[in-house]
Amino acid sequence: MPPRRPRSLLQPQLQLRNELTYGAPILSPARTPILAAVQIRNFSIIAHIDHGKSTLADRLLQATHAVSERQARAQFLDSMDLERERGITIKASAVTVHHTFKGEDFELNFIDTPGHVDFAYEVSRALSACEGAILVVDSTQGVQAQTVANAYLAVGGGLELIPVINKIDLPAADPDAVAMEIEQVLGLAAEDCLLVSAKSGQGINELLDLICQKLPAPRPSVTDKLRALVFDAKYDDYRGVVVYLRIFDGKLRTGDRIRMMGTGRTLSVTEINRYTPFTERVKELNTAQVGSICASIRTLADVRVGDTVTLDSDPADEALPGYEEPMQMVFCDFYPATGGESEGTGKRADFEGLREAVEKLHINDASFTFEVQHSEALGFGFRCGFLGLLHMDIVQERLEREGGVEVVQTAPTVSYFIDLTDGTSIEIHNPADLPDPARIKAIREPIVKLEIICPTENIGDLIRLCDARRGTFKTQRFVSETRQILDYELPLAEIIYDFYDKLKSITRGYGTMDYDIICYREDRLVKVNILVNNEPVEALSLICHRDSAEQRSRNILTKLRKQIDRHQFEIALQASIGGRIIARESIKAMRKNVTAKCYGGDVSRKRKLLEKQKAGKKRMKQIGQVSISQEAFMAVLDQGD
Amino acid sequence: MASLPILSSAARPGAAAGAARPTVERILQGARPSFRAAYAHVPFCSHKCHYCDFYSFVDSEDRQERFVIRMESECRAAAALYQAPLQSVFVGGGTPTMLRPNLLARTLSALRESAGWGAGVSAGPGEQNASGTSSQPREFTVEANPDTVTEEVARVLAESGVNRVSMGCQSFHPHLLKALERTHNPESVPLAVERLRNQGINNINLDLIFAIPGSSLADWEADLQAALKLEPSHLSCYGLVYEPNTPLFLRRQTGAVLPIEEDLEASMYELARSTLASAGYGHYEISNWSRGEQRCQHNLVYWDNGDWFAHGPSASGHASGIRWKNVPRLTDWLESDPWSLVQDVESLASDARTGEAFMLGLRLIGGMELSRVAELLAQPGGARREAAIAEALSSGLLERSESRLRIAPHALLVSDSVLCTLL
Repeated sequence: MPPRRPRSLLQPQLQLRNELTYGAPILSPARTPILAAVQIRNFSIIAHIDHGKSTLADRLLQATHAVSERQARAQFLDSMDLERERGITIKASAVTVHHTFKGEDFELNFIDTPGHVDFAYEVSRALSACEGAILVVDSTQGVQAQTVANAYLAVGGGLELIPVINKIDLPAADPDAVAMEIEQVLGLAAEDCLLVSAKSGQGINELLDLICQKLPAPRPSVTDKLRALVFDAKYDDYRGVVVYLRIFDGKLRTGDRIRMMGTGRTLSVTEINRYTPFTERVKELNTAQVGSICASIRTLADVRVGDTVTLDSDPADEALPGYEEPMQMVFCDFYPATGGESEGTGKRADFEGLREAVEKLHINDASFTFEVQHSEALGFGFRCGFLGLLHMDIVQERLEREGGVEVVQTAPTVSYFIDLTDGTSIEIHNPADLPDPARIKAIREPIVKLEIICPTENIGDLIRLCDARRGTFKTQRFVSETRQILDYELPLAEIIYDFYDKLKSITRGYGTMDYDIICYREDRLVKVNILVNNEPVEALSLICHRDSAEQRSRNILTKLRKQIDRHQFEIALQASIGGRIIARESIKAMRKNVTAKCYGGDVSRKRKLLEKQKAGKKRMKQIGQVSISQEAFMAVLDQGD
Repeated sequence: MASLPILSSAARPGAAAGAARPTVERILQGARPSFRAAYAHVPFCSHKCHYCDFYSFVDSEDRQERFVIRMESECRAAAALYQAPLQSVFVGGGTPTMLRPNLLARTLSALRESAGWGAGVSAGPGEQNASGTSSQPREFTVEANPDTVTEEVARVLAESGVNRVSMGCQSFHPHLLKALERTHNPESVPLAVERLRNQGINNINLDLIFAIPGSSLADWEADLQAALKLEPSHLSCYGLVYEPNTPLFLRRQTGAVLPIEEDLEASMYELARSTLASAGYGHYEISNWSRGEQRCQHNLVYWDNGDWFAHGPSASGHASGIRWKNVPRLTDWLESDPWSLVQDVESLASDARTGEAFMLGLRLIGGMELSRVAELLAQPGGARREAAIAEALSSGLLERSESRLRIAPHALLVSDSVLCTLL
């Protein structure tokens, strides 16, 4: 499979703009009569994490009387525990409210977006269901990496932006400076920024008015055949998959037989709902409207975000643009935790328990992949692919929290393309799958465009960090007098390896980053084999850059040396590239394991002790003559070496 | 106070307040033991050492006399179980010599009578066969803290027929004794040896401990030389064991105590082997050396997987596959008269018995007779053990001569590797 065309935040997807916003210039009076009597505005809120997006959403619902004070529970739209805890919106929803502006009734469809870079594709789909977006910036934090990334994504999608400076009630608020940053970095006029406190409600009515006034009306139908964009899908225990749609052309009714143009599946619509934000059953959705459908879909794997829904009986000629298969960039293994690790937690720690949990979670989140993996060292588990690092963490947490299993996660790797001497290419995401070196012409790895926003004083250290991670300097710009944007290109493999923690520590928490995959690029990548007494241990092999191979190998060997018990003989630990040894360690022969005292009162206890040793040894993995415990493998494979 | 046994007894389901615990008499019903020895535990100590996991404590109320009265009744009861005079009686602790001399004498007298050795005073080992009713050599051992061996105690021991004394020296270096929280004065050891010899007790064992935190190879060599200078008939040299539930163990856990390097400990052991060999001591068990034939007959019963009776709180006994441990609390033991309540009892399946026979028998430097090995391999699990033996022979951990199977001398320090495969 060839690599997917890379997405770039910095290269606006122009074709998208042309298609979806066709014929809908801002507040075009000539177009207005074509629409239904009610004016419609479809919009999203975009922001860097923790800049107050969810609070603002709540406040908007309240101000339109969609939710009373009493009903308002904090962050209404985020429904999962995990989202609340992390303050991240993982899955989008759409809410319809009404607002009267200049005597006219406006239907406002608020489309929630995922809040993290890993879900950039989902964000882009949600945004393409909108004509406008509210860009929220925290008045105490200023423009951050995801502010920029999201803003570019929205502009790239042809959306009109309303810049909003939030949290102006805080003592540390500096709205003027933040407005200047917005102008400097995003090119949105500082004077257009609206000052808001989602907490106190200040500026909220002005914002509602501005949404009606400034955001474009949806474009009219360009065809009478149904075309609706799937911008999100969620799994509901009672109703199966709930598919969120934005109708671009035609209309959709309950009972319609529909076709997913991307997957080719046909389904019958059993119900249509809108959210106000309480579920409201409706009979149909018209052009420009937003809502959800149920169609007896049992798993999220059957629905693709970005797909186009049309009528099976009268299908559209062409799907809406922008559909992509989700692409997993980061991979790791999950194994059931064994022995001591799960004791006392009441969680399951067996493979079958893990399988159930993974399958159940996949119904809810089809964007991760999984396949059964058998490791000689760790037994049965799953190799899983994720959109990014955060996605990986979320899946692990959900497996443990919702699935009730205790898992052990191996260090993440990226996917590689291997160009073979016969002219073909294969994709691998496990060092063990690398073909014979003689057949390899080149190994290509994913490269990201990285954008860091940080205090000016940290620029030097961050440049050193990026350079050490094989980065290529691109640009450096000022956000304000005290902060800068640093652009780099560097391999994804270098980011998943302890990069974010380093960034945070260098900038004492003030730095933020965002990245997007831009291409696959060849580099001097090598497979490092780890050998225990000359036996290769496939589970421990890794792919890394030739220049860092020694360092990485030494780290692994040092860990291994501490984890393997002494044996009757000296054990050689080696790392090799091809046949060449690049690092070595040794474990001295065991000198002593003897029960010094064994008298009458000791017999039972000593026997049990020895039996325990024997049982422990039985559970160990034999690499040649060497016994290695699963715990030892875990310690080496565990994240962060 | 050793608090753990109490905790573990409380933790046993249904063992509340000892009500459900059987007596020794009960658990031995139906068994056909042939007791060859008796062990008596005297729990009193003047001080609790940090490495010690034996049941012992500093008695705050004087219960010595009650202890002795109770011991006398247990001895009378046990005598009925013995089919022949015992081969050995071993009085350990705690510190048996903490008993006041008259009480010590009564205890020893009761044990001697119970063993079938008659009421009369038996003298040194030379007279054993002449005065005894059995042809078996009789060994009567008492453990002693060197500080407690006064002339009076030495006389009581001799007059009671004790012919062997085992003394815990551990080290002759004050700083190492301090590391173990031992309170005795190293200079009291030669004095105690002299007092015992003056009373005709010449079979004397000295316990030494090596691999004490902070010790060097030179320290250990000096300890060995100091011990040899006293010309004991028997030496036990133990690598320090960090027993769970001891203060020493906890201090290692918290990092307050740093164990010495494994390689240094191994060198210390090898040093003991070579030094004692050239001094004329025969190495006969992993941690034990003797001059001539003066091996510890009592411990040989253990390693031969023989039967012995257990007296006193927390003492353990073995009766043809039944291993038991008396209740550990002095109070509980005093109240169950004449048969002790049993804290733990294990009736071993034949496979476990076979495993134990190997685990114990191969501790002897001379190993096990091939006929005995063949006998054990004829039991269930024989094929598995035979394969394990073959593997250990080929890797050089075991050696076979014409008549015996033993752990190879170079592999003694890693003997657990072999023993665990034979369980």
